[in-house]
Amino acid sequence: MRFAKWMLFSKTPKPKVHIIAITALIISVCACLWTGEADAKTTGSATWSDIEARGINQDVYFHAWGGDPQINRYIQWVAKQVKQQYQINLHHVKLTDTSEAVSRVLAEKSAGNNTQGQVDLVWINGENFAAMAKHQLLAPNWVAQLPNFSLTDPDNNPAMTRDFGVPTQGMEAPWGKAALTFYYDSLATQSPPQTLQQLSEWVKQHPGRFTYPKPPDFLATSFLKYALIVLNNAQPEAIKNRLYQPATAQSQALLLPVLWQYLDELHPYLWRKGRHFMSSGMELRRLIGDGELALAFTFSAAEIPAAVARFELPDSSRSYRMQDGSLSNVHFIAIPYNAAHANSAKLLVNFLLSPQAQAKKQQPSVWGDISVLATSKLTAEQQAWFNPSAQSHPSATIANQAISPALSEPDPSWSKVIAKLWLQRYGVMQ
Amino acid sequence: MSTVARLFNPIVRISPFIMMALLVMPVMGGLIGVMLPAFGWIPALDQTSLSLNGFSQLWQTPGIGHMALLSIGTSFVSTFLAFLITILILASYFTSPWLGYIQRLLGPILVIPHAAAAIAIGFLITPSGMISRLVSPWLSGWNAPPDWLYPHDAMGLSIILGLTLKELPFLLLMALGVLAQPDLGQTLRAQHKVALSLGYCPITAFFKVVLPSLYPHLRLPILAVMAYASASVEIPLILGPNNPPTLAVAIMQWFHDVDLSLRIKASAGAILQIQLTLFVLACWWLLEGLVCQFAKSMLTNGRRDYGGAIIQKITHVITALMMTIIGLALVGMLLWSFAGFWHFPDTLPQQVVMLHWQTALQQMHTPLIDTVLIALCATALAISLTLLTLEAEQHSGKSLSLLGSVLIYLPLLIPSIAFLFGLVWLLEQVNSQHTFTNVVLAHLLFVLPYVFLSLASSYRRLDPRFSIVAASLGATKAKIFFRIKLPMLIGPIFIACALGLAISFSQYLPTLLTGGGRINTITTEAVALANGGSRRISAVYALMQMILPALGFLLAWLLPKMITKMLIKRHQQG
Amino acid sequence: MQTFASTAKSSSTTTASVLTIDGLILRRQQQDLLSLSATIRGGEILTIMGPSGSGKSTLLNWLTGMLPAGFSAEGQLHLNGQNITTTASHLRHIGLLYQDPLLFPHLSVAGNIGFAMPPSPKAQRQTAISEALTQVGLGGLEQRNPQSLSGGQQARVALLRVLLSQPKAILLDEPFSKLDSQLRQEIRQLVFDQIRQHQLPAIMVTHDQTDADAAQGQVISL
Repeated sequence: MRFAKWMLFSKTPKPKVHIIAITALIISVCACLWTGEADAKTTGSATWSDIEARGINQDVYFHAWGGDPQINRYIQWVAKQVKQQYQINLHHVKLTDTSEAVSRVLAEKSAGNNTQGQVDLVWINGENFAAMAKHQLLAPNWVAQLPNFSLTDPDNNPAMTRDFGVPTQGMEAPWGKAALTFYYDSLATQSPPQTLQQLSEWVKQHPGRFTYPKPPDFLATSFLKYALIVLNNAQPEAIKNRLYQPATAQSQALLLPVLWQYLDELHPYLWRKGRHFMSSGMELRRLIGDGELALAFTFSAAEIPAAVARFELPDSSRSYRMQDGSLSNVHFIAIPYNAAHANSAKLLVNFLLSPQAQAKKQQPSVWGDISVLATSKLTAEQQAWFNPSAQSHPSATIANQAISPALSEPDPSWSKVIAKLWLQRYGVMQ
Repeated sequence: MSTVARLFNPIVRISPFIMMALLVMPVMGGLIGVMLPAFGWIPALDQTSLSLNGFSQLWQTPGIGHMALLSIGTSFVSTFLAFLITILILASYFTSPWLGYIQRLLGPILVIPHAAAAIAIGFLITPSGMISRLVSPWLSGWNAPPDWLYPHDAMGLSIILGLTLKELPFLLLMALGVLAQPDLGQTLRAQHKVALSLGYCPITAFFKVVLPSLYPHLRLPILAVMAYASASVEIPLILGPNNPPTLAVAIMQWFHDVDLSLRIKASAGAILQIQLTLFVLACWWLLEGLVCQFAKSMLTNGRRDYGGAIIQKITHVITALMMTIIGLALVGMLLWSFAGFWHFPDTLPQQVVMLHWQTALQQMHTPLIDTVLIALCATALAISLTLLTLEAEQHSGKSLSLLGSVLIYLPLLIPSIAFLFGLVWLLEQVNSQHTFTNVVLAHLLFVLPYVFLSLASSYRRLDPRFSIVAASLGATKAKIFFRIKLPMLIGPIFIACALGLAISFSQYLPTLLTGGGRINTITTEAVALANGGSRRISAVYALMQMILPALGFLLAWLLPKMITKMLIKRHQQG
Repeated sequence: MQTFASTAKSSSTTTASVLTIDGLILRRQQQDLLSLSATIRGGEILTIMGPSGSGKSTLLNWLTGMLPAGFSAEGQLHLNGQNITTTASHLRHIGLLYQDPLLFPHLSVAGNIGFAMPPSPKAQRQTAISEALTQVGLGGLEQRNPQSLSGGQQARVALLRVLLSQPKAILLDEPFSKLDSQLRQEIRQLVFDQIRQHQLPAIMVTHDQTDADAAQGQVISL
């Protein structure tokens, strides 16, 4: 580098020397690139088979939210597959909230435990990812090592490498896609609200039949973020874009008041007259099943026909997307920096990104979570796996799916801000 | 002398110390592990200077007063109600065979874990629960579930209901246990008869003659009940409000928060919790004193009847109501666990399906195995330590000192939320990676007192002359222990086993914290599912929580008989 | 003979008291245990003697209205002309004296006796209690803890307790068997004197022949 600089900037006369030098430089640069690539190739493939060799025959502790029996069953299926293929024992550590895993890794880091972490894999996105990244709790730059990652076509799909807009920097691998879906009991209401505005009128006609959970529950903040985006639709672009940047006092003052106004009008007509908000979003589904609620929402649209099949939701349940937009995101899997079985974890993630696993996951009867693989990267045979199987319950068809615009997630800092301010305003009963 | 005999005496000699160490060190260590952070000392967060920051954060928490009031109120009222109903039942049925029936009916309720009881009560009083369905639509006119606030009401009435129904059998059975002691029980019953012959109606006779002598024996159980209720986590978590919750639940949430700096506030909260518990106990002690003062003059004023007949009728109603509530709750759970679609006002589900049991049982494999293994290990350790310590008492000739007896119940008297987090921190420092061992140790803390309580009286009452005769026949102490004392105590040992298993099955916080989320038992799963998406699966788990200890007791009843029969047969043949 | 000044209304001492057992048949689970008919006048003591298991305690239970489950009875019980076969135990006014004095440990000696007396002004009761204690040689022991008294003293307090409750009849369940022979005679004499003085019909269950002899009443052997 210094030689090149000297070559280019020095004023001493260099007759034919500089031609030889430049040629040598070009040759050496090419050589470097070539060996580099070879190195990359050899290190790449050597690395992957290294990983395979080191990763087989181990235990992997996958910390993932365990509130949905369907997802748990899918993970059990994955466990069987990786046991067969790699003799890996997958242990699903069921979390009530992903923050539990975050605090665990944080505690381990504080205790100086840098190699024997109990968390090998964590299902994560959004602000939990932001928290872990900030505290440097995640293994960096491993996703590109996975052969199956290229199937997601990351170069053409920026969503695969951005989590709530924050670059993932190879610290987490995409797993599935989700969008906020509403569902209702068609016996209790024939015309569910199609927009946020209609919602505030609908609750007045059906008092006590709708509610949302208590922040910081994920579903709660998602509903509030959806409301925030939609209610600020009339604002100029410059202000709206502040949502996709870290929240500041100024942007909060510009964007939040309309949300609080909306909620203040909404709460008296909610379930329990807004005096009690359940701690977990899972309860919404149970309350619809009990008949207490007529309208609810979820991120996992396929859980509704599955719940109907399990008798947990009434036969008359139907799902739809709001016409003014559905909050959409990609959810990821990350490996903590101190994972005790990092190589096995990588093998597992690679399997999760395989067409086989993604197709199975997308089946409504299994989980219904949308695949992250790009169709263009799959063979025709693999593409066929993703075709929907026999039609199940009417609620499996999501009305408005085609016309509902996808709303991207705001910056992760907004979740925290909304949750904190909500708790200040409504968190403690007066 | 065989190796066993040679090792026996030294092992017995050190057993009491091992037991005390296993009880006291974790609790004390845990308390220190909580007190230090409370005053700002958390090296993990680079804070090593003592400060009162945590406490000031605590005072500034919105709703802290309400949290404290809720904890105090629910524990005091529920214990008071449980005590009141207990003595009303004793007074009304003292001379009637109904006391025995009630004892047998309520006995099983005792071993139902708090979490299962909370789930059952929650399902009963919820707007779409059994009570609501039974009166709709013919009485109430409801075609959709009403919008009332039970459970999760702000005043904690649901919590009070859950706690009262769970603590009442315990107090009642404690009292009946005292009355079953041959000397004291017979004396009290005879004195009651004397009072009757002097013209006192049975209820007044009970209150004026039996209760004053019975109450001192009930004091410790009542205080233990109240201490537990003030710091309980499962019941307020499942039945209580969340805006704000009780102090214990809030502390748990702060400890679990991603934001580690909340740990300081949580530790300060744990200190506050200890103070709250002491406050509630002091209130009870004060109330006791006041009632004693007030009642002293009433004892000998000669009045024979204070409306005893009415009180008896009221007690009949209360007892019937209680049995109905418990019965309905159980029936509701059974129906939910087998229910297909169950539209609101219908009293019975439209279909009966086995699906939920099948699904749950498939999911339950690992938690079930873990539950049983942990319980067996903890109980085995507890029984061994208890037996060896009791044996040491007899070797040395002097019984456990007063301090020793109190120390045994230490884990029960100090709110578990106060020291468990410290214990977890302690185990993290020691870098103990064996989660299973950690969980067994934590369970041991709670199983040991109950096992000791259960075995101590039977062991101590064993006629010493058997050992003396055996010794004179040349038997070593070890031989006497294994060949004479243990077989004679087989019944009580098995009951203590069943009790220990039941206690271990019902542990929630110890498993959750020391297991670090890696070990799931039926109870932790049940609590996680209690406010989740599936009422039906939740019902299955709650029922499973009830079946396990019931099985334990069934075995405890059957096995000794079988073993004794086997031994006798072998002896007859050999 | 010593008389107690009864400060409250005394009915049983003036009118003729009589306890009648009419055609009693006691059964334990369909098996006949005993049958008895007797009339006891005021001041008379009926002695029941018999081996254990013969139904003596069951008889007393039936008389006090506390027949346990598993036993059944036929027959009538009359006291002073009233049929009390089905009256509640605490309304029968039949006093009990057991072999254990069964003094209430949480009350003082005066408290025990006061407990038994009908409702009356405090001062009045205190006077009556002090007088009664003095008359049996226990003067000054009002505030003592019953457990601190000797066996004989406790027996006397128990007797006072029964008598001051103004019973209409009295049942004695082996009342002297826990006392040593010297004390036994003394207490026995005291009890029988009081029974005769107050003209109470009495039934005594005992093992001891000398008790039966001293009772000078009808003796029934089961």
